Amino acid sequence: MSYQQREPPILAKLCSLLVEETYGELAARVFSVLARHGRQTLAGLARESYLTGRQIKPGLVVLIQQHLVFHSALDPRVTYYEIDWQQSYALVRHGKILKMAEDRFGRKAANVLSNMLTFGHTRLADLKEAYFPSPEKPPSDSAEGHLNGTGIASAEVDSVNGSSGKINGNTDALTNGAAFVNGASAKLHTTADLAKKGKGKAAAEQGNDDVDMMDAEVVEEEGDPNKIQSVGDLYEIINRLGKAGWVIKVDPDQYLSPGDFHALVRQQAYDSIWTDEQAPTGTKDHALWDSRTREMKRQVRDEWYQPPKFDTRKRKPTDQDNDRSSKRQRLNGAFAPADCSMNGDTSPHINPVDDDLNLRVNFDKIGVALRTEQMTRFVEGRLGYTTSQVYRTMLCILEEHIPRCYEPWPDPPSDPKDVALNNHVDDKFLVSAREVAHKIGREFDLFDGLDPHEVVLVMGRSEVKQNHHIKPPLDPVSASLDERTRLVSCHIRLLANDPFHFATWHSRGGANAGGGRYCVEFDEIAKATIQLEIENTVAARKGRIGVKLVRALKKNGKLDERQACNVMMTTANDIREIVNEMTVQGFVQTQEIPRVDRREAKLSLHLIWYDRQRAREKLLHDTYKGMVRIVQRLSFEKEKIHELLRKAERSDVVGNETKYLRKEELDALKKWKEVEAMLLLQLFREDDLVSTLRDFIGPLVSV
Amino acid sequence: MASSNDGMPPAAEASSDTPAVKAELPSNERPSPAPNVPVPAAQPAPRPHDAKRAELLYEKCAEAPAGTLFFQRDLSNMDVAENMGELVNLIQELSDRHMMKLLTFENEACWKIRTRQEAESLRLMTGDERLIYQMIDAEQTRGVWSQSVRARTGQTIGAINKILKGLETKGLVQSVLSVKHPNRRMYLLKHLRPAEDIAGGPWQTDGEFDQALIEVVSKLVEQEIRRQTCIEVPAGYNAYTPEDRVEAIARKKARLQAVQDIEDAPAIKPYRPPRQHGRSNYVYKSSRTYPTPETICEFVTNKNVIKDRTITAEDVDQLLDMMVLEGRLEKVSGLGYRVPLALLERGSYNGFVDAPCGICPVFDICADDGEISARTCVYFGEWLQTESELIL
Repeated sequence: MSYQQREPPILAKLCSLLVEETYGELAARVFSVLARHGRQTLAGLARESYLTGRQIKPGLVVLIQQHLVFHSALDPRVTYYEIDWQQSYALVRHGKILKMAEDRFGRKAANVLSNMLTFGHTRLADLKEAYFPSPEKPPSDSAEGHLNGTGIASAEVDSVNGSSGKINGNTDALTNGAAFVNGASAKLHTTADLAKKGKGKAAAEQGNDDVDMMDAEVVEEEGDPNKIQSVGDLYEIINRLGKAGWVIKVDPDQYLSPGDFHALVRQQAYDSIWTDEQAPTGTKDHALWDSRTREMKRQVRDEWYQPPKFDTRKRKPTDQDNDRSSKRQRLNGAFAPADCSMNGDTSPHINPVDDDLNLRVNFDKIGVALRTEQMTRFVEGRLGYTTSQVYRTMLCILEEHIPRCYEPWPDPPSDPKDVALNNHVDDKFLVSAREVAHKIGREFDLFDGLDPHEVVLVMGRSEVKQNHHIKPPLDPVSASLDERTRLVSCHIRLLANDPFHFATWHSRGGANAGGGRYCVEFDEIAKATIQLEIENTVAARKGRIGVKLVRALKKNGKLDERQACNVMMTTANDIREIVNEMTVQGFVQTQEIPRVDRREAKLSLHLIWYDRQRAREKLLHDTYKGMVRIVQRLSFEKEKIHELLRKAERSDVVGNETKYLRKEELDALKKWKEVEAMLLLQLFREDDLVSTLRDFIGPLVSV
Repeated sequence: MASSNDGMPPAAEASSDTPAVKAELPSNERPSPAPNVPVPAAQPAPRPHDAKRAELLYEKCAEAPAGTLFFQRDLSNMDVAENMGELVNLIQELSDRHMMKLLTFENEACWKIRTRQEAESLRLMTGDERLIYQMIDAEQTRGVWSQSVRARTGQTIGAINKILKGLETKGLVQSVLSVKHPNRRMYLLKHLRPAEDIAGGPWQTDGEFDQALIEVVSKLVEQEIRRQTCIEVPAGYNAYTPEDRVEAIARKKARLQAVQDIEDAPAIKPYRPPRQHGRSNYVYKSSRTYPTPETICEFVTNKNVIKDRTITAEDVDQLLDMMVLEGRLEKVSGLGYRVPLALLERGSYNGFVDAPCGICPVFDICADDGEISARTCVYFGEWLQTESELIL
């Protein structure tokens, strides 16, 4: 079974809760039946649940539309349904994804992505229809639109109908499914809003008084350009998302579960090498078969990830919008010149080759962006804010060429000696200080986090006086590109010198590189961060001595009590209790090796050991459980003020809360908002931990 | 008596590690003369004034620095005995009174004197006690295990333990737990300090790690390494003030966005530009040399914090390794060490353990429903300051 499809029961619980939260009860019922019973046919589903086929189908449609369920019709007689755990879990990330999309591609793109996340995959024409409804719409549809509130949402429902109909051909299901989808959108937006709200709060906490009053001004100025103005605009956004790999084509094969996909490709690999008469014999043949299978899997997958084609011939060569840094902080001005040409008049210059294209969100690529954010945060904790932003810029440059965090179907590593000798890294995985200096915003004070002596050395003026003051002070903003390059390479050196080796020097890279080119060894860093999170957990539970034990065991392998004491320089009494508790919690293991035939305990060796992969899975499992509890608590808290919420959500009350609600009710409402924010933020932070533990690197082979 | 009898002759001090001086087997009660001592055929009976002369010989020996070894020629040069036969008699006399003990140094017989108190206490001992005492004495700082005493004397362990207890209460011997074999009790003379292989390195006292010492030294070392690898940059180190409004807006906006970048997790401590929040900041020094165990060893030795023990680079290495495990230091570029900057105070660990579940004592028995569940959880209640369902 695929590593990613292994699911502990607790994950099933979590995903069921998430599905219920997002897509309503019916979908959740179907989902939980699938979760409990595994791969099922429609008949099987009906048998295992108390639902009829007529009820199951709409639920299933929603799940399929969202890619939460694999279905395979390899066997022509019957279709099997199976849960896609990765995709189901990703429901919790929607808010976070939108945030990242907004940072990288702007608010408009985030809006498009938000619709695609909420409603599942979409036909391009339908998406267009959703944003810019054509006038000759049948009246029934528009009526539904009014019912649903905003125009976009209603049109979106249509688009949902369109594509799901296409795949399932079950018209009966459509309206129901769509209804659920509608309910869902509202919820999702609250989570996204909350994520933003938390952000705002933190920003406010910063206590930067002098510039705070300009807040309103800033927000106001951002107001308008965030609306998608024309079809061309929309296409341009989708094109950009597609080029970046965030949006990919839908392919029927994507609906195959990893097992089915494997079987299919394996058969194809077989057919491509052998005929019926010759069957593979011996290990060599099987190895060939395996490697061909992996190769073909990669091929098929890479085919999916080809960016959807847009006809951009008529675009002006001067329009550099596509090459614009995804990282660059967008200031007021940054948007204006490029976007004006895109909006309005020049809009028809970009057209999709195929209007019928079905598009979906690519979570693999989003994982890479998530990794960038996490690693930035990690570096910030170790080396400071400015260095972390330099690192983020480096990672964003690399992001473009990294389709996923790790290769699930790698060729077996060749001789390790070969690898060490021949450390060839493709040019596109290298980044130089010069590129970073180009991309990083001018507003960053690159002096920060560096030794003032070094700063002065780079700038070639001023000097460091007593108490490390730079006299006369230097202006960080007006430094020349050359100077900035050198400052950046000082930061990169800090990154490279760190024990985590956030960057690795690769080559000199000529005059233009400015201080050499660097690569990032993601796998090693991912392992180190997993270890760090385990240590953090132990530190919170058992304090310094627990961390010390874990590190000692990781460094030295299996130890008996006395050796452990020697390494840790403590007494046996101090560690005995810790070892015991951590064994119970599953972070360390103990082992008894008899030395005499009678296996007397007194004479046996008692070893303590630690396995990173085990600890990782244990922590991941615990984190899932923690998330389940948070979601459960959230619904409990909600249940407590259920009545009040119903009242507050009434259309006449919304906006007039102070008029219609009593003071206690307002207080309770405020309290609920706080509680909700706290719980959701914690949920998102636990999700960060899950991505560190699960998504950035495949299973580790012991230690 | 304390350190007067350290067991090492001046001659052997240079190579003090080699057990050059060997005690003769204690079972050999009567000192046999060394091979090159011509033993007179007919030994005259000890005369009464021999006792006086023996006393004289002892006095003369006592004048020499404590712990001196006396060879036959030294003793004869003291001009106490008339001839060799008489000298042998005198030595015999002193040995009988436990005031002198026979040793060999590079296969040559030599003697050492005992203090009068020691001799007195030896005289008061029973034969068995004396035998065991001499065994312990012979091992000097290496100590002797009670089991090997048993093996050599052939007595029951009970009897031996009783004798050893007795010696201990008389303040003549001490017992320490061996570091190499934690369940072995090693005996050695009271005034000796156990050798490293039974008592451990400089970080151990009485077979246990001396936490106080380790803490003091590691704090010192941490400070020193911090001094060598980091500098503290004061808040307004580059007091440049570019004040125009447009730029301030731009900066504000950039900062807002920057904060959002790192904000998914409610970064408990969000970024604060150092200039604004007016706190000094540690940064790494730009020089790329790091302290190594050798330099730190020198530093610790010069600081003179460890009394009467010498520490070696290996000892320091052990300490530094331990500090790396504690996260107080980190290893960079091979053998160098530096301190982690630890910019964020430890208020938060990760998403899981910052929620109540992460450190919940009943996490493992918490279920979807029942007595312990998210609905009834008191920790959630405390954290959110809301009411939990009461367990009925």
